[in-house]
Amino acid sequence: MTKPAKSKNIVLYADDDTDDLELVQDSFSLYSNNVEVVTAKDGSQALSYLHRLSDQDPSPCLIILDINMPVINGKEVLKKIREMQRFESIPVVLFTTSSLPQDEKFAREYNAGFVTKPLDVMQMEMITEVFIDHCADEIKKNIRRHLQ
Amino acid sequence: MTLFEFQILDLADQVGILYKHGVYIGKRKQGHLTIMLFQVDSFYVEVVYRLYRRYIARVRCSESTTMLDPYLGQIHVEYLVG
Repeated sequence: MTKPAKSKNIVLYADDDTDDLELVQDSFSLYSNNVEVVTAKDGSQALSYLHRLSDQDPSPCLIILDINMPVINGKEVLKKIREMQRFESIPVVLFTTSSLPQDEKFAREYNAGFVTKPLDVMQMEMITEVFIDHCADEIKKNIRRHLQ
Repeated sequence: MTLFEFQILDLADQVGILYKHGVYIGKRKQGHLTIMLFQVDSFYVEVVYRLYRRYIARVRCSESTTMLDPYLGQIHVEYLVG
């Protein structure tokens, strides 16, 4: 599991597919001045990271979860996140190869976004913007300001 | 959609159909290529990537279930029955 640098906006991303982990890290490279992508290889690692955060540690500005992961899948992680008082309203996106309506419905029920993994470069260019759109307004402005 | 209707679309439209309606089945590597299999209605589509999720080398499709063979170990049964 990667460790975050101090004072950056933290995006926590859990996925067991190393290709997809690299893909998302690459997609945020444009914002690397103030966004740090912390990666977890399964749902359990992602939950451990959140549990270990002290009151002084910043919360992630966004949590991205693959659905099909070993140990604890993304939907179970989302449920557990919503049970944690500190993270009950934190922005979460289910990022998955699935386009199944029941998965999208599940995401809505737990106040999370639902983004299907891209299939080509055109879709890839939009993905990071979609992720950032899920962050709180202040964070969104802060992240995009660094590009101007 | 039929296999024929899918085959006569250009690549961008095929990708659009897969993105919206394709059911992901599995992923495999073949040399430097990454290949993903999707199901659309009654046929299967393999997307062959030169650069994963970025540059598609080709798309091949078939109604034959033999396309499933290389992926059998990784199919998520809950999605097929759910």
